[in-house]
Amino acid sequence: MSDRNESFVLRASGLKVAYAGNTALSIDQIEVRRGEVLGVVGANGAGKSTLVNALAGWSRGAPRVSGQVMLDGVDLSAMPAHDRARAGLLLVPEGKLVFGEMTVDENLSSLVGMSQDADRRFYDRAAVFELFPRLSERRNHLGSQLSGGERQMLGIGRALMLGPRALMLDEPSIGLAPRLVSTVLQTMRTLASTGLAVLLVEQNVRAAIDVVDRLVLLERGRVVAQGPAQAMRNDPRIAQAYLGASST
Amino acid sequence: MNFGQQLINGLVMGHAFALVAIGWTVLLGVARLVNFGHGQMYMLGAFVTWFAIATLGMPYLVAIPMAIVIGVLVGLLMQRIMLQATIEQNLVSIMIMTLGFGYVLHGAAALFFGSTGQILDTPLSSKEIAFGDLWMTWQDAAIIGVAIIEFIVLKLIIDRTRIGRLVRMVAEDPKLAELAGVNVRNVYLGVFAFEGAAVAFAGAMVGPRTPILTSMGFDEVIMTFVVVVLGGIGSVTGSYLAGIALGLFTAFFGAMVSPAYTTAAAFVVLIAVLVLRPGGLAAGAR
Repeated sequence: MSDRNESFVLRASGLKVAYAGNTALSIDQIEVRRGEVLGVVGANGAGKSTLVNALAGWSRGAPRVSGQVMLDGVDLSAMPAHDRARAGLLLVPEGKLVFGEMTVDENLSSLVGMSQDADRRFYDRAAVFELFPRLSERRNHLGSQLSGGERQMLGIGRALMLGPRALMLDEPSIGLAPRLVSTVLQTMRTLASTGLAVLLVEQNVRAAIDVVDRLVLLERGRVVAQGPAQAMRNDPRIAQAYLGASST
Repeated sequence: MNFGQQLINGLVMGHAFALVAIGWTVLLGVARLVNFGHGQMYMLGAFVTWFAIATLGMPYLVAIPMAIVIGVLVGLLMQRIMLQATIEQNLVSIMIMTLGFGYVLHGAAALFFGSTGQILDTPLSSKEIAFGDLWMTWQDAAIIGVAIIEFIVLKLIIDRTRIGRLVRMVAEDPKLAELAGVNVRNVYLGVFAFEGAAVAFAGAMVGPRTPILTSMGFDEVIMTFVVVVLGGIGSVTGSYLAGIALGLFTAFFGAMVSPAYTTAAAFVVLIAVLVLRPGGLAAGAR
């Protein structure tokens, strides 16, 4: 049964991920509300990528995943990754974001026939170029010829064309110049202001904390702290480990 | 040596090689699979065509689609059974399974069609076109014509259509394609169905050039493998050019040295090319 009027768009409960019997992630509940940017931070190996991959039903490995994933009141738990994407749960993964042997134009047109739900916004290519004018200038270049920042933009653009209800980004700032990090993260803020639910996984807490509404801190696959961004800025675990505050 | 006639023989043989290889080229490019049952699927296409004409009395133009349908069904069956191994890219298991499929197809065909050689006679295979002392059959001309059309159509589909882009996405990164909403399993099934259809069509077109036997297939696999690898894994244009090159090489080497050593010589060329250009002659093209 659909409960699309609830304020959260994405909610996972009882989410557990194990590799070869070893638990990599165990989260009781995590939710992202409409128009909200939720930041998920933590050290390397804390389970940030494992979390978004499990939500997307996607992995390059072979984990055992259990728990419930709801998107706008629809249970996605049993769906494979491509059906979750079609339902509007989009992941822009870390690392290889684009099809390198295809041009920018082709990357932004190689989309399957999607349902055109009235309550979803399916960006067209022109809208993506408006959001990222740089891509328009590079439209005939191959994905493999793009810079890290341009690939990130292209990955986000392709996800937007699939009509996201919730957009998840895994470490979008990796390898980017500080100015581009700011551009990409501010774009997330802009997208959220249109009502999109955004889950942002970041190691660059200093940059992320300025654009997220709430922050979740993961350690060894578990949520150890969460709250509004401003409050979390003063949390000693965040301040000392990620923002460089001195312990007094 | 009649240079003009060898040139014609080479071009006909080359287009025949390319026609037999086209399905495997797409299969290898998209699913990264080596199908060692490919030659037996070719044999089956030729025998279904022969059976439809000689036993059921069907016209050639009806027998060809019948062979294609059987090819599609065999391709779908193979892929349905090997799907999990394909997704996991368990290449050793896949190689063994396709080799096994080849033997099963051979046995089943021998049981159904018999083990004696047959002549696949078509309305085109006995009519000749002569230019002075040069000649070819209308079947040969048809092979060249349909091979060119098939490669152009396939190239246009892969480069310019949505289906082609989906296939290229899966070929480059099936995991990333999933995140773009692509059902990778269906693409794999479609590619196998295409391979079955294409090789059965090749059997129906090329089979009439020589007597057909249910034990044939191994030579076709070997020569197809040379074409596919020489052309560059997954490159449609490369496969076409490699097919022509191999056809010309086979014709001229056979005329100047001996037909008995052409396969060995073809592999010498293949090894040399792979040493110099590991990605094949058309590496990077598609």
